[in-house]
Amino acid sequence: MTQETIVIQEKEPLLQVRNIVKTFGIVKALSDVSFDLYPGEILGLIGENGSGKSTVSSIIAGMQKADSGEIFFQGKPWSASSMVDALDKGIGMIVQETGTIPGISVAENVFLGEIERFRVSHFPFAPLNKKKMNQEAEKILSLVDLHDISGSLMTGALDFVTRKLIEIAKVISKNPSIMIVDETSTALNQTGRQTLYRLMKEYRNAGKAVIFISHDLDEVIEQCDRLIVLRDGHFIQDLPKKDFSEDGIKKLMVGRSVAGDYYRSDYDGSFDPEVVMELKDASIPGSLDHVSLQIHKGEILGISGLSHCGMHTLGKVLFGARQLSDGEYLLHGKTVKNEANAMREKVGYVAKDRDTESLNLNASVSDNIAIAGLNSFSRGNFLVLYPDEKKYVNEQIDELQIKCFDRSQFVSTLSGGNKQKVVFGKWVGCGSEILILDCPTRGVDIGVKQFMYHIMYQLKKEGKTLVLISEELPELLGMSDRLIVMKDGKIQKEFPRSKDLRDVDVINYMI
Amino acid sequence: METAKKTQEERGAGFRRYKTKNLVIELLPIIVLALLFAIYMTVITIRGYKMELQLTRLFNQAIVLVTVATGATFIYALGSFDISLGASVLFACTMGVLTYNATSSVALLLLVIVACGVGCSLLSASLATFFKIPPFVTTVAMMSVLSAIATTLININNTSGGTASITLPLNLLDPISSVWIKALIAGAFILLCVFVFNFTKVGRRIKFLGGNPTCAKLSGIPASVYTIIAFGIAGLGVGIGALLTLAYTPSVSSGTAGSIGMNIFVAIVFGGMPISGGAKSKIYASLIGGFSYMLLNQILLWLIGTSMNGVAQIISAALFLLIVFLTSLNYRTRLLPR
Repeated sequence: MTQETIVIQEKEPLLQVRNIVKTFGIVKALSDVSFDLYPGEILGLIGENGSGKSTVSSIIAGMQKADSGEIFFQGKPWSASSMVDALDKGIGMIVQETGTIPGISVAENVFLGEIERFRVSHFPFAPLNKKKMNQEAEKILSLVDLHDISGSLMTGALDFVTRKLIEIAKVISKNPSIMIVDETSTALNQTGRQTLYRLMKEYRNAGKAVIFISHDLDEVIEQCDRLIVLRDGHFIQDLPKKDFSEDGIKKLMVGRSVAGDYYRSDYDGSFDPEVVMELKDASIPGSLDHVSLQIHKGEILGISGLSHCGMHTLGKVLFGARQLSDGEYLLHGKTVKNEANAMREKVGYVAKDRDTESLNLNASVSDNIAIAGLNSFSRGNFLVLYPDEKKYVNEQIDELQIKCFDRSQFVSTLSGGNKQKVVFGKWVGCGSEILILDCPTRGVDIGVKQFMYHIMYQLKKEGKTLVLISEELPELLGMSDRLIVMKDGKIQKEFPRSKDLRDVDVINYMI
Repeated sequence: METAKKTQEERGAGFRRYKTKNLVIELLPIIVLALLFAIYMTVITIRGYKMELQLTRLFNQAIVLVTVATGATFIYALGSFDISLGASVLFACTMGVLTYNATSSVALLLLVIVACGVGCSLLSASLATFFKIPPFVTTVAMMSVLSAIATTLININNTSGGTASITLPLNLLDPISSVWIKALIAGAFILLCVFVFNFTKVGRRIKFLGGNPTCAKLSGIPASVYTIIAFGIAGLGVGIGALLTLAYTPSVSSGTAGSIGMNIFVAIVFGGMPISGGAKSKIYASLIGGFSYMLLNQILLWLIGTSMNGVAQIISAALFLLIVFLTSLNYRTRLLPR
């Protein structure tokens, strides 16, 4: 145990979690989980997808009740009726997926549940002092370095990263004693991450505590003082900082050694000269600025940049989901008007916002995998028969090793990694020749990541084209045949695959 | 190793519980229908009502509701609803009667009825697509417009001394007024709907669209096309429902099919259809729910009496809320984070 850890643990625990059990329908998500959280520490909660990290943190944050077990906060039994109640009592949580409401203003999101205090009088239907509310919201937003966002803006019009930062601002404005950060950093760009890390450190230094959940082992090792490892809903180990090692943590998380051959091992960045996609002077105001680009058969094209650089919009353009204001986009020499056009040309799209854009959560594994492949297995391009569908879907489940009980299981009950495998199955199964992958490994654990890199490389070897859009430079460097860097909607630089290419070379063109 | 084995066993047991629970939820509407039918038959027997007469009346009332509701299931599967269905049936009936009275052609009568049903629905869907507004908004407007046109036409062509109405010759639709022929017509339409809903790309895409429109769009499913298709099928149900209405009563007044729009909504939910549409939508919900709803109404009417009709409606409404609550409870537990 390090000196720092010993000092921390000499204090009374801020939070004690004792023998928590939680079951969701078919899954026992937590079995007798116990741990302590001390003031002045950043505690990492790690494990594979489905290990129970989000479940235990959501119980602490008042989002749901445990089936059994106890929690003590500042030495007293803890119970919260909702997340708002928990935040008022001193425990705030930033959730994994977007926790803001799109149809209301930024200020209304920041002050959700306490709008009443901005009424001009105590009369319940009195008008709101929106000017005051917006001004106060803007002050709070500046805490997360969002200096140019107006409180009156509609939240739905903002990008994913900004919405996430608004959510962080909303939580820290209440100054809770414990802040739970659930898989938030992967939704942020580099600047946003630095802001989050700064806030976490400020919390630690102020004698408060942070529970930090992330699949990014580098940041976990760097930011956390202590780790709790969970696997399949069971407590596995309490790991002090001195025992942090990447391989050791991976082994504890997965329950076996994870081989070091993470990305593709070759540095042969060759591909077919045939151009399958071409952008000529493509522009969308505010997103793309005269982008010209050729993408080839059998190529893994990596696209990097900061979150607002236009790369996510570019992915949508390539799939026909966004139309250009100016310029031209040709797919196999044809113009693309919508997603259906792109799919006819065998293009698949794995969206960044998995739960909203790539999956129908209230449908089965079968429904989700089959929907893009109806043309592949329907008879007479019309008739959908269960035996055909079953065969088609089961092939994907087997091939991608999707952990589900059967194809009728609802996708909402799967872990993040298995959800993402369903998305892959949806697009690989229908025979996509071109795959646009927007942050495909966001929020998935190392085991699934490794599997996905293997699949990507396999697809490349089969002559398929992959456009890999990512905010994780190591995976872009590890997987791409060619890497382009975007900034302010423009292509700044292009790098061929090389073993000498370092992330600092790329970052220079991103910022 | 032991932990993994234990977890696997726990999950296996959990999945069996999940399957059992799902099966119970699936079977519940059928059990309720059987229960209501048993009560219905008991009341008939105890009170000495004529069984054949009562069953025929129940069938005639339910078959129109079931037919229109089956078509409307496509709209509900989209996560939308059509409040103008009753007005559409009224409009189709009105136009059919006026067409026959003007031309004496049964073929034209049939053609106009079906064309009006499909036309009204397609107009609602097309307007929604054109103006990019939720379809139910246009159906609210359509309900007023269609009712107003039909009422005006009925008033202008009124053939009766009392309540304004228009009529077909009394025996004109006799060939299709028997229970068996009606069952055949409605059955053929329901089978067509079952086929399209469960065994074609169209049905699968409509259900997926209802579950998550954003994901559906990014899976190559154009919402406008499938909304129009869903409304088109619902319109066909309206046309056939209007024909069955005329076969039962050859007279049309402004009150004809007035409550059918809301009844369909309640009946579909009674039949086990999730209120939000999507993948769990069931085409047979209209069949089970339609008959359950009619049985419930009749039983309450017998037990409480016509003078206390309001009480019967309150009981129906309470049951409706209970079913929606129970189904949404099930829906919520599946969305909890992991």
